[in-house]
Amino acid sequence: MAANYWASTQRRHWLFTREKLAEIRESFKEKDKVAHSQFPLPDQRLLNIYFSQQLIKLGKRMSTRQQALATAQVYVKRFYTKNEIRHTNPYLVVTTAFYLACKMEECPQHIRFVVGEARGLWPEFIAPDVSKLGECEFSLISEMSSQLIVHHPYRTLSELQPELSLTSDEVALAWSVINDHYLTDLPLLYPPHVIAVMAIIVAVVFKPSQTSFHGSAAPLAGAMRDGGLNILAALSDKNGSGPPARIQRLVAWLAESEIDIKAVIECTQELVSLYEIWEQYSEKHCKELLGRMVKTKNLDK
Amino acid sequence: MFGKSFPFYNSVAGFYPQSTDSRRPPGTGYTSKVRVRDRYHIVGFISSGTYGRVYKAIGKNGQKGEFAIKKFKPDKEGEVVQYTGLSQSAIREMALCSELDHANVVQLAEIILEDKCIFMVFEYTEHDLLQIIHHHTQPQRHAIPAAMVKSILFQLLNGLLYLHTNWVLHRDLKPANILVTSSGAIRIGDLGLARLFYKPLNSLFSGDKVVVTIWYRAPELLMGSRHYTPAVDLWAVGCIFAELLSLRPIFKGEEAKMDSKKTVPFQRNQMMKIMEIMGLPTKETWPGIVSMPEYAQLQSLAVSRAPGHFSRSSNLEGWYQSCLKNNGYFANASAGTPGADGYDLLARLLEYDPTKRITAQEALEHPYFRSGGAISANCFEGFEGKYPHRRVTQDDNDIRSGSLPGTKRSGLPDDTLMGRAAKRLKE
Repeated sequence: MAANYWASTQRRHWLFTREKLAEIRESFKEKDKVAHSQFPLPDQRLLNIYFSQQLIKLGKRMSTRQQALATAQVYVKRFYTKNEIRHTNPYLVVTTAFYLACKMEECPQHIRFVVGEARGLWPEFIAPDVSKLGECEFSLISEMSSQLIVHHPYRTLSELQPELSLTSDEVALAWSVINDHYLTDLPLLYPPHVIAVMAIIVAVVFKPSQTSFHGSAAPLAGAMRDGGLNILAALSDKNGSGPPARIQRLVAWLAESEIDIKAVIECTQELVSLYEIWEQYSEKHCKELLGRMVKTKNLDK
Repeated sequence: MFGKSFPFYNSVAGFYPQSTDSRRPPGTGYTSKVRVRDRYHIVGFISSGTYGRVYKAIGKNGQKGEFAIKKFKPDKEGEVVQYTGLSQSAIREMALCSELDHANVVQLAEIILEDKCIFMVFEYTEHDLLQIIHHHTQPQRHAIPAAMVKSILFQLLNGLLYLHTNWVLHRDLKPANILVTSSGAIRIGDLGLARLFYKPLNSLFSGDKVVVTIWYRAPELLMGSRHYTPAVDLWAVGCIFAELLSLRPIFKGEEAKMDSKKTVPFQRNQMMKIMEIMGLPTKETWPGIVSMPEYAQLQSLAVSRAPGHFSRSSNLEGWYQSCLKNNGYFANASAGTPGADGYDLLARLLEYDPTKRITAQEALEHPYFRSGGAISANCFEGFEGKYPHRRVTQDDNDIRSGSLPGTKRSGLPDDTLMGRAAKRLKE
């Protein structure tokens, strides 16, 4: 339900195992081998980054609230568990997800304004006709079975802030870790509270001063790989001695809570892998491949 | 009523979408994977409102049972219907109904998006409180049995508790929106105005200016509060409780319309109706009132009347006692009586100060529900009478229906019309 994650459609219908997700994507490939060989696309993880970045760009133009942007991110991911990318105009899907999420998160934007701003960003992929977006909205809602309420980790983060006496720097860092998790499959793989705890651990273990978080993710990825995972491994070992008091307190809290520590560790690894693959990411390359696909297949018409 | 063999299932003009998809090349555009016409026979028209229309349907092709299908009308642009983006309230209702699941909240079967229309398919409910209250005034007044009132109220509060614990405000509770199944189960319906209220991004006030049919509107909203709390729904429950007992809306004010500048006017007449029974709200009984946007308006209203026109204390108990007397609620009468506990609960629901108003949880634990026998989950249990079935018509002429507010039900006047009819009778 709306406030109860455990009874939510998110938990019941939109939580996948890695295997299931891989299977879905493989089945798309099986169903349309021609399109897959004709239109090679970057690695799914790179596409994830690309779509998220495009959404963020659109959001920035319209000064949107983080919550609406996060919901739009999840809509795009859900939609592409039901549809082969090669059958869609991803720019229209991203724009529509944004438009729909703004309504759902109570900060509605006029359809003409959204189309106008999207055209400012991707003039060659978005038609001036608003009915295209209206039509895509039907498709999005239908594919998501009208299950539009999304639970985000931000809420858990603010709830845990006093309980774990997190500093404002730590909250800020955890917040940006949560922002980053939308660049991965994580929102489809783990419940929001697991993501929030993962973000808190990353924030407490790696002080914000240690690294400039955005832009150069590489040092953080390295640090997390080498040091962070050892600490995480120590979480399951209650008698582990070594980590400083602040981290020990977090460990004690984690031990008392019923958080799935294994899941938290897996999330951290996924994030490490994001920061690693980010080094290979080229926006231009993604744009070219997607552009060729959309244009050749007339998906923008 | 209509059986499965009802022959005119396809006669309701304008329900089914015209099939235009065939001209489209495959692979482009949106085509529904499920088609309304493949799953439902439409047996007739139930009601219409600004959002669209409601139809009665029966399932086909293995789909069993009766349904009420709410069809949201697309905005019309000339002859050709275009996609123009869905309204926020349609989105809210779709999202909330897909998420909610409770015995006292209307049950959604599915949502079909087809040919630019939204079809929300709900379970069919034979009755609603507006229709039940109306029936008890015909041909002459006869009280709704006290045990039935108690069951209705308990189920209503139970559904409301579920909504509130899940951070959903209904915001438009009124008799027409409280549905009743033929087995006497209460279902809170019409979540078109419902909203989530945890950490609202915008003030809940912004966006929709007018919320809650005026007779059931809480005093803090009338006083211009921009802050909605679950308490607004409990005020409405209080009004509904009073109406179930007296068979008339307790505060039947006249709505001041929005002026050309689209500013929300002070609902002077509605506030006056409340004060005539509840007395003048004061800063002693409702400390927050002095900081309400319409406080000055309220004071000028109080001064404009003769001294003593509005009592400083509540007259609700007097209203309640004469209501019991006029409607034949006595301990030894067949209708039974809601008694002193009923009054206490009513007074707590109709508490001016929203911070002191009873919550759904507290109301369910009130002595009113604990005294007397067990409360039946079937509000009709032990009731001898029979209510007429929901009227379903075959006429679906597209009367331009946007001019009147709220839900208009065929064969049954809506609140506005009933108000007018009652007035005409008095005159």
